[in-house]
Amino acid sequence: MSDDAPHDLVPRSPRDRRQQAVPEPRARRFWLSIIGVALALALLGAAYVQWRQYQLLDGTRHFQNDALGWSFFQLEAEQLRLRNEMQQAASDPTGDTLQKLQLRYDIFVSRLGLVDHERAARIMAAQSSYAPTMAQVRAFVKSGDRYFAENPQAKLTPEAMRSLLAELDTLSVPLHDLSLSASHLLYERVTQRNAAVRTQSKQGIALTFFQCVLLLVFAFTVLRQFRALLQRRERLEVLADRLSAARAEAESASRAKSVFLANMSHEIRTPFHGLLGMMSLLQETPLTTQQAGYLHTAKDSANHLLAILNDILDISKLESGNLHVVPEPVDLARLVREVDALMRVQAQSKGLSLNVTMDADVPRWVRADPTRLKQILFNLLSNAVKFTAVGHVHVRVEAGTGTAAGCVVFSVIDTGIGMDEATQVRVFQRFVQGDDTTSRRHGGAGLGLEISRSLARLMGGDITVKSVPNEGSTFVLALPLLKIGPPSAGSAVPPTGGDGPGRMLKVLVAEDHPVNRIYLEAVLDKLGHQAVFAENGEEAVRAAQEQDFDIVLMDLHMPVMDGFAAARAIRALPLPRGAMPIVALTADAFQDSQEQARQSGMDEMITKPAHLPQLRDLLVRYGGAAASLATPPAAAPADSHADIVDRATVEQFHATLSPQKYTALLGSFFESQSAMLARLRESADAADRSAVWNQAHALKGAALSLGLRAVVEQAEALKQAASGPERHSLHSALDTLERHLLITRDLCQSLGWLPAAASPGRTVS
Amino acid sequence: MSQMPRLLRRTLLRAAACAALCCAATAWALDPPAGKVVLTVAGEMQHRNSPDGAAFDMAMLQKLPQRSFMTKTPWYAEPRKFTGVALRDLLDAIGAAPKAMRAVALNDYRVEIPVDDALKGDLLVAYALDDKPMLVRDKGPIVLMFPFDSRPELRNAVNYSRAAWQLKTLELR
Repeated sequence: MSDDAPHDLVPRSPRDRRQQAVPEPRARRFWLSIIGVALALALLGAAYVQWRQYQLLDGTRHFQNDALGWSFFQLEAEQLRLRNEMQQAASDPTGDTLQKLQLRYDIFVSRLGLVDHERAARIMAAQSSYAPTMAQVRAFVKSGDRYFAENPQAKLTPEAMRSLLAELDTLSVPLHDLSLSASHLLYERVTQRNAAVRTQSKQGIALTFFQCVLLLVFAFTVLRQFRALLQRRERLEVLADRLSAARAEAESASRAKSVFLANMSHEIRTPFHGLLGMMSLLQETPLTTQQAGYLHTAKDSANHLLAILNDILDISKLESGNLHVVPEPVDLARLVREVDALMRVQAQSKGLSLNVTMDADVPRWVRADPTRLKQILFNLLSNAVKFTAVGHVHVRVEAGTGTAAGCVVFSVIDTGIGMDEATQVRVFQRFVQGDDTTSRRHGGAGLGLEISRSLARLMGGDITVKSVPNEGSTFVLALPLLKIGPPSAGSAVPPTGGDGPGRMLKVLVAEDHPVNRIYLEAVLDKLGHQAVFAENGEEAVRAAQEQDFDIVLMDLHMPVMDGFAAARAIRALPLPRGAMPIVALTADAFQDSQEQARQSGMDEMITKPAHLPQLRDLLVRYGGAAASLATPPAAAPADSHADIVDRATVEQFHATLSPQKYTALLGSFFESQSAMLARLRESADAADRSAVWNQAHALKGAALSLGLRAVVEQAEALKQAASGPERHSLHSALDTLERHLLITRDLCQSLGWLPAAASPGRTVS
Repeated sequence: MSQMPRLLRRTLLRAAACAALCCAATAWALDPPAGKVVLTVAGEMQHRNSPDGAAFDMAMLQKLPQRSFMTKTPWYAEPRKFTGVALRDLLDAIGAAPKAMRAVALNDYRVEIPVDDALKGDLLVAYALDDKPMLVRDKGPIVLMFPFDSRPELRNAVNYSRAAWQLKTLELR
């Protein structure tokens, strides 16, 4: 990723820039709070105005101030009625009229209290006639009370009545005036109050309007903020989508890279083995010292390259999660001894001493994946040897204590160049070595420690490192290995190989092609093992049911039942037969068929042509005796027909078996050829593509064993055509194959590998 | 729909029969007033003591359940204590259930009062002010009064106008 990648992910369009210009959230919050406070104040103001109005109206109501006018009028009326009653009583002073007069008087007096009090005085303060009139009325009541009080002081004589009447008359005009002016005054008060209410109503309306405006502003701001939030979310979503798309892309690219790496390593490995084989052969030829030196260097380089290729394969498997640890009973002491034996030579060649100690309390038999455990130990040890110039390398195996309780702890201690702390952290990372200078000085791809640590973790353990620059490093591998008892004798578990006395193995070979069967029989015979043959998977399963075998060599593509199904069927057999080692033999080493083979229960896979050293190594690993090889023949003639025959294979054939055996095999191959071609044509005519594919595959396998390169290629082309849809290409591929078969046969005859004119050739149309 | 009038009619008939029985047994159940009549209740009722209705002297009123409260009024500067008979108790005493009534004062002041409103407002037929009998010149002897202080919703001109003083007669409708 380049530095400006984030800008690519978040394009800054003009619109985005405008978004940046809107108030920052803090400013927006400030304005919102200002509006909120203003709104609250406006609400308070409106509430105050309402409260004032309520007070005004409530006060009026409570004290019935408006009724004052009515009270004055009532007083005036009662004065008139009293006067009337008094006049009647004066003209007819009987008990009844006097009693009525008394009641009138009392009512008049009771009315006085309603207008003659402090509040009324306050209201009427502006009216100058109020006080004198009230005084006048009070004076009259004082006079009246002498006769009308509860306990009258004097008897009501006609004279007294007349005098009272006269006094009452004088009240008429002032009371009338007061009644009128009170009314007017109250009108004024009502008008004033109305005005006040109107003013307050106006204020209320203004405040309400203000509130409305504020509310609108508030709503607008909130809306805007909400929209901004929404837009931001949308932008984030778009960004997240882009990021996840980018991630998916990166992941798929990485996956593709892993697959490519795995395939490439595999593709490279196959010819590489050929290269190594050739160099081994070359080494056995008479060479000058200089040539031997060159060859040695070339072989070292090739071995190193092969190791790197294997590392890359492991990495790609680890990355895709296809690397599996297969635990089995392992003799730990023996495994450590093997590692020691192999590394001792390297250490000694550098003048280093290698000590291996193993504590007594370390369990001897444990469950572990021996191949992977050895891989880790080799890696740690070869690193120690590589980075140590003088001193020693010490391997200590002990039972774990403390946090590592239950583990077996392998410590690899060297007196090498050591590492500082930063390097110790980085050293487990891919492609990292001590530093660039050490990388240049010591070589290597820097994958070993990463693989080792990943493997250790896959086994449930870990690798740690302690180091002091220029003093040395200690790599500690702690693995939780399950302690078990020694496996019973005769079990089908493959020994971890190596230095034990090899024995004759009973090998079941499932192979459909007769030439390959003959070849394998010859090779196994040469290696001193006994071979039992099955022509298809079904026969192989039957044989495995009936007899004990030390190992099964299983061709993957066979008629009736293929190798995968046969392996599954054998694995389903009762123990110990169900556990016999099965090794796949195949002409195509694709990773998926490898994976499929593993899933079918096969232990490993070797690719055809299965050369004698390869088979010997394989069988030695499974407990077979290591037979010595015959000396390779003298230098091979110049390869003038490399595109038709693989001389290396043929030479190896001649060397490991015999030229006669090869000639016999080649003879039977070409003898069966016309029948096979006829079968192929039949299948092609019937458009039975899978039959064509199977036959072509068997042909390819046989041709591979015999080193007939052109036939191999054409058989492969026919297989390709069989998996394609066109019938035409099938026939043309068949024609080409037939032509190449003839060419190959002619060449073999001319090279003297085949007796001349074994069978009449078919003319090519 | 036709059930309603029938039901109503039956109820009314039953009530009438009951009233007739009661009248036969307890007509003139109310004692006649011994002292000066201070309040006359006229109209439909079960218990009467005069052809017009029920006439009360002060002693008769004081024998009924007594209630009192303090309240401010437009007519007095200070809150005053009013003591008297709740309208409900008065109507129960005479066995009356009127819809409306008219209060008539000594000075011929008249006011219509819906009985529901009056009962809901706990209208008091007061005969004492600050525990003393009221003279006519003190707006007595009988005053209709609402508890304005404890019931703010009563404070309005209509209710003030219904608080009649110098009450003479209650005419039930």
